[in-house]
Amino acid sequence: MTPELERIIAAKEKRRRDLAMLSFPEKVAIVVQLQKMVAPILRGRGREVRVWQIPAVMEQPVAVDAS
Amino acid sequence: MEKTLAVINGLEKVGLLSRYAIGGAMGATFYVEPLVTFDLDVFVVLPTGLGGLLTLSPIYETLRSRGYTEEGECILVEGIPVQFLPAYNPLLEEALTEARETMYADVSTRVLRVEHLLAIALQTGRPKDHERIQLFLREATLDHAYLAGIIKRHGLEKLWGKVKK
Repeated sequence: MTPELERIIAAKEKRRRDLAMLSFPEKVAIVVQLQKMVAPILRGRGREVRVWQIPAVMEQPVAVDAS
Repeated sequence: MEKTLAVINGLEKVGLLSRYAIGGAMGATFYVEPLVTFDLDVFVVLPTGLGGLLTLSPIYETLRSRGYTEEGECILVEGIPVQFLPAYNPLLEEALTEARETMYADVSTRVLRVEHLLAIALQTGRPKDHERIQLFLREATLDHAYLAGIIKRHGLEKLWGKVKK
């Protein structure tokens, strides 16, 4: 494995750990963002899904240190 | 999600369910990176009804009477599809008893302990459960002694042995 690839993998692992440390409401906001991204794909496959309708204040992007 | 949880807390308060806790992908999300899911799995201990019958019907009837509608296996509560799942075996009963109290914004709620979520995934055994177990092992802070007790009490040693190989 090259040093560059090692650095990329380490950064991905760190990002996952950082995400895991977020508060529950922050994580739910991310889940809703993920739903918005995934829903069109699932609907295209014929699966009916509903993106959660929760207040906009909860749907702000969450900053995670990706360094 | 506060409103949804407040409604579920209300169901518990009036005795339509004895105890509840969040499980499934949203329960897992409490401990690891956010996982995409479209429903909120809520495990419940039901009060014993007439003739000892355990049924979700009173919960659904009450929610319908308040204008919430059913969508497939779920009921849409304040914008979130909620799936109520009765505790159907001793592992789930224990998981509910020992679920951790937490706050979601200003609303109190319960989430199954991560060790129980792992054991439930182990017991359920679908491919996505195995993926989730690996995620718990990588990202969650586990109490391994507590987990070992759950594995032993519920006869999951063989399955756990395969995971650890």
